[in-house]
Amino acid sequence: MKRLREMGLMALALVALAGCGHDAKQARLMVIITPSLDNPFFGQEAAGAEAKARELGYQTLKFSHGDDAFKQSELIDTAIARNASAIILDNAGAQSSVAAVQKARNSGIPVFLIDREIAARGIATAQIVSNNYQGAMLGAQAFAQAMGEKGPYVELVGKESDTNAAIRSKGFHEVLDQYPDLRMTARQSANWSQSEAFTKVQSILQAHPEIKGVIAGNDTMAMGAIAALQGAGRGDVAVVGFDGSNDVRDAISGGKAAATVLQPAWRQAQYAVELADKYLREGKTGQAEKLIMDCLLITRANAARLSNFALK
Amino acid sequence: MTKGKTLTMNGAGQAVGSDYAMALLLKFRTVLALVLVIAIFAALAPNFLTVANALIMLKHIAIVAILAIGMSFVILTGGIDLSVGSIAGLAGMVAGALIINGLPLTALGVVVYPSVPAVVGLVLLVGVGIGLFNGLLINRFQVAPFIATLGTLYMARGAAMLMSNGETFPNLIGNPALGNEGFSRIGAGLLLGIPAPVWLLAVIAAGAAFVAGSTTFGRRVYAVGGSERAALLSGVRVDRVKYAVYAISGAMAALVGVLIASDLVAAHPASGESFELNGIAAVVLGGASLTGGRGTIVGTLIGACVIGVLGDGMVMVGISEFWQMVIKGGVIVTAVVLDRLQERLG
Repeated sequence: MKRLREMGLMALALVALAGCGHDAKQARLMVIITPSLDNPFFGQEAAGAEAKARELGYQTLKFSHGDDAFKQSELIDTAIARNASAIILDNAGAQSSVAAVQKARNSGIPVFLIDREIAARGIATAQIVSNNYQGAMLGAQAFAQAMGEKGPYVELVGKESDTNAAIRSKGFHEVLDQYPDLRMTARQSANWSQSEAFTKVQSILQAHPEIKGVIAGNDTMAMGAIAALQGAGRGDVAVVGFDGSNDVRDAISGGKAAATVLQPAWRQAQYAVELADKYLREGKTGQAEKLIMDCLLITRANAARLSNFALK
Repeated sequence: MTKGKTLTMNGAGQAVGSDYAMALLLKFRTVLALVLVIAIFAALAPNFLTVANALIMLKHIAIVAILAIGMSFVILTGGIDLSVGSIAGLAGMVAGALIINGLPLTALGVVVYPSVPAVVGLVLLVGVGIGLFNGLLINRFQVAPFIATLGTLYMARGAAMLMSNGETFPNLIGNPALGNEGFSRIGAGLLLGIPAPVWLLAVIAAGAAFVAGSTTFGRRVYAVGGSERAALLSGVRVDRVKYAVYAISGAMAALVGVLIASDLVAAHPASGESFELNGIAAVVLGGASLTGGRGTIVGTLIGACVIGVLGDGMVMVGISEFWQMVIKGGVIVTAVVLDRLQERLG
């Protein structure tokens, strides 16, 4: 069923491509592939890359692979067929993306990875990733403080096939497990989804009404948790998210969430395009392949300065 | 028992709708599955058998059940509606857009902000419209329902994404100055301590059971599903029946979209993804045949309860996401295999 749906989307994308094919030979093309365009984080990431690429005089194409490595591979075929100058990619899985990136490289197209890394070196031209582990530890630290360093809590994990879901969870526990009085009473995957987090937290609240905190692997799940907690009149439960979305920023300002962790998505995407441009002009980026950007903690103190995944 | 079952479920006989207790008995397998699931989770999950949890579960069941009731009518005619999940997503987005951006009347150069009941009405019209479009493809252009509704699945989802360029409409609380507040009460409101979606489900289920079981239209739905040709020859306007069932399904899907958006106080364009599969599973769990002509609304309701209770129960026990999928699939397959076995033996 999902495959069918995606084949349909692919067909539509090809029709769209055929429609705007002729004039593409003039300006050079940068293909931007992100997991989805309906999650604000990935949406801003794609928008940031697109804005920078246009500024530097490139044509752009934005695609999303929906965390499906096969679809990602098809999109990279499309990029190769379109003779793209460079690909900016937030990939669909550390292991399952290696072959697709290699394929682009073999066709002479440099790939610049953002947000997530792949499990191989020397294939991508650059891997610019957030330090998810460091970010998760920041979030966990704030979470422990918001909970007064004691009490039962719930962890909402992201899609378990996504490397970042596991890295963030490890980062959370690296900190939280050091507090003997913090106790995890439930741990569920809500697949990065707001509505799934909403129904699951409602059920968890029934099983464990004593919970004092919810720590979520991303902001959309944190928003789902907040909706469920507010609906149950549980304003006393501390919520911490991850990403730095405008929604959670507003929740922090309104006292409904304790903190989130900003991944500089906008800056990261723009930097990837800058590096790609440098590489295309000079034949090298002048940087190491792997570049790790630190995350920033967003609390009530600095929430007002956050907008579209960038801190002003 | 088997004889009674054929009579009741074929819908051609006079027993239809007259005896819900009988129908319940005939749905024994699904009821048993429900009792079993409840018993297991009552033993394993703390606070499972509490009023508060029952209400939360009923609220979650309402989402599946309302969709599945609409789907039941379609499946009873031998059709299928794959577009419901996307319609729900689009409906939420339309509601979000109407509350946040209003309805621009370009001809008059003004923007109208409809009140919440008007928003719901307009959104239901969108659902009916898409349903009628499905009906048009199926009736006029002879497209197989699977393909016609697969097409609208993509179109409606794409339209939902286009409405906001993929972004969420947040904070759908309305504005007192515009007179459009109160949207969140539809999904989160309480009446006599019972959540509004549960009341909605009760009204819809009773209405649907009455329509399917005790009205001429209901008989025609069963007749079309039993044998479309026979129905046509005996003077049933088959095309009208089909328009009606897809319109009902579209309206129910749109209502579900409103409930989700209202509950979250936000509309997300990817909402409702793969809901069609939950809906179909509930209908089939309830004993309906995908070839049409057999099934009841009460059965669908119980099927939806099994899916809802199973989903919530597994979360409360803390079963991992991967096992949840395996178990859910196993329950669906087992229930249907039992159903077929019993039919063959009978």
